[in-house]
Amino acid sequence: MKITKLLWVLMGVLLLTLYGVPALAAEPIVLGCPLATSYLYGWDAERAIQLAVEEINAGGGVMVGGQKRPFKIETIDTRDLEPGVPVSEALLAVEKLILEKKADFIVGGPVRSEAALAAMDLLSKYKKISILSTGVLTPKYHARVAENYDKYKYLFRISGEAKWIAVGEQIPALMDIGNKFGLDRVYIMVQDVAWARGFGGIFAKVMAGKGWTVIGKPQIYPTGTTDFSMGLLKARREKAQVIIIAMDMPESSILLKQWYDLRVPALPFGSIIAAAEQPGFWKATEGKGEFTLANVVNAGNAPSNASDWTMKFVKAYEKKWGLEPEGYGTSSSYMAVYTLKAAIEKAGTLDSDAVVKALEATDIMGVYGRIRFDPKSHQVIPSLDPKEGAVGTIFQWQAGKRVVVFPQSIAMGDIQLPPWMK
Amino acid sequence: MEILVYGTVNSVALALYALGFAMVYGVSRLPNFAHGALFIINGFVVWTLLNTLKLNYFLSIVLALLATAAIGALMYQLVLIRIRGMAISEIIASYAIGVAILEGLRWGGFRGMTYTLPAYIEGVIFIGGVPVDLQRVLVVVIGIAIFVLLWLFTRYTRIGLALKGMAQDEQAAMMLGIDSDIMAVVAMAFGSALAALASVLLLPLGNIVVETGYSVLILAIAVCIVGGLGSWMGAILAAFLIGFTQILTEVYLGTHFKMVVALLAIILTLILRPSGLFGRQKELEERV
Repeated sequence: MKITKLLWVLMGVLLLTLYGVPALAAEPIVLGCPLATSYLYGWDAERAIQLAVEEINAGGGVMVGGQKRPFKIETIDTRDLEPGVPVSEALLAVEKLILEKKADFIVGGPVRSEAALAAMDLLSKYKKISILSTGVLTPKYHARVAENYDKYKYLFRISGEAKWIAVGEQIPALMDIGNKFGLDRVYIMVQDVAWARGFGGIFAKVMAGKGWTVIGKPQIYPTGTTDFSMGLLKARREKAQVIIIAMDMPESSILLKQWYDLRVPALPFGSIIAAAEQPGFWKATEGKGEFTLANVVNAGNAPSNASDWTMKFVKAYEKKWGLEPEGYGTSSSYMAVYTLKAAIEKAGTLDSDAVVKALEATDIMGVYGRIRFDPKSHQVIPSLDPKEGAVGTIFQWQAGKRVVVFPQSIAMGDIQLPPWMK
Repeated sequence: MEILVYGTVNSVALALYALGFAMVYGVSRLPNFAHGALFIINGFVVWTLLNTLKLNYFLSIVLALLATAAIGALMYQLVLIRIRGMAISEIIASYAIGVAILEGLRWGGFRGMTYTLPAYIEGVIFIGGVPVDLQRVLVVVIGIAIFVLLWLFTRYTRIGLALKGMAQDEQAAMMLGIDSDIMAVVAMAFGSALAALASVLLLPLGNIVVETGYSVLILAIAVCIVGGLGSWMGAILAAFLIGFTQILTEVYLGTHFKMVVALLAIILTLILRPSGLFGRQKELEERV
């Protein structure tokens, strides 16, 4: 009996010596992740961060002042994407991560724009570097950083934002579709949240300026809406040819099912359409969502060859989680960890001011192209060319697959119209 | 015509949401705030039986209906019976059970947008030039059939008459040999089964998400308050009133005001006529 116990102890010591001791010796760098973990844009980020951290830790960790230190993840559910949950819940989560979990950096969220805007003062009060990587599309976020740099210089966003998505990607893509298929009537359906309302307004204004007919005002739907029939019937009645959708709620899949059931002769184009982003969407809608276009903000959230790293990431995610990258916060959350690692190593310290300088000097080729931050607003610099900046992705569901169709520099196929539109 | 067609579909859906709640309150005076949770758990049970255990769709529905009815009965027998008659405690306890079910489902991994039930029937028909998918037509047809069957059940069956007796005067019913507790369990099981029936009819139109449980509860309460708590006939009429007002609001005011209608209806009813449309009648006549 004693010999057995002794053997167990010896085995434990051996294992610790081989694997555990270096990790135990170095104090971990704590990444605080305030994420709406019950929602796509929360769990996709959580999974991507976990993947990046495991990869980095397997490689020895982060070199800080001559010592390799591992990353450690602390996640708190902010619930900020749930209808009716007050913003204060997300603020509590952020403060708890800083004060109780002793987070060295904040990565990921809060996810809802309103919550992230509210958390800005809190983060600047604690001089805590935050890299937003999921949700939060409002242009107000980086505009506020630019307006008050000294106060908000600790805040960065490595994922895309609504203004670029609309003006830089969606509208050029729509113009291409218009020219190719002779379409010029657009109908806009958005969720009643800050980013989507803002997006709808920008989109209506710009498309009207481009000579398109914008049918009525953007239709605004409360979070949790489960019936879109009247809006879709209006689109049909007014002969809409493209339906622009900006919704991050799960119920957006109902809209697409209803679109199919009513055979509305208009192409559904999700600026953000959470339901259609997931690989499981096809099965869940029994193929009814075919032809839906969806913007997943950054490359790598659907298979493409934007950079050498893109498919490597897609395959690593698939191997780890058993499915392709899911929502639009996936590749950006993964890159947030790698970018932070590079900045910490460059700064050689965890001091916030030093890491801010290093982050501002970031220039790396990532999963979705060249990653650089605007020095004033700390927004990742976007581009249609992955060699120049963070490139986006618009895909279309075609025969059960997510086929990247825009931008041209990374396209894997062409846009198709549903048969009842031909 | 669009308003008429989709107003009817919306109204029948609201009535289906509310019937189970109205039934339980009418018989046992128990405000079952776990109603929305029962609606959703039934959806997930059907989904699991269908997709994980690969059972036949119809069999999955039947088994889920029985399971949800059993959950309702157990809720009453294990928890609610102990606080019966204490209205505030009943609300708190049933709401707590509901939240535990919904958040438990979320915690258990039932999250996201990929949980859906297949439609029973595919295709579109045109009613007066308005396209309607056949699943919605089916909802209206089955919904109306349920209303009629419920009416017949409470008038021509022994259990239905016992429930009706309980709803009218519990003490008098007990004097006639009706076991109050058993009838309350039956009402709870029956109300839960009605929530489950609404669930299997309406969820194929969309997807199964935990949040729907909360909105179903709010809509059911709105319909029952406007109709007069406990009066299922009042609930049906209130469902049509709110259903058409919602569609008119959506068409003429804007989609984002749609949910306001139900909440405003609760506030206005409580201010102007707290007993609801059929509140006074409820005191005198049947409540089942």
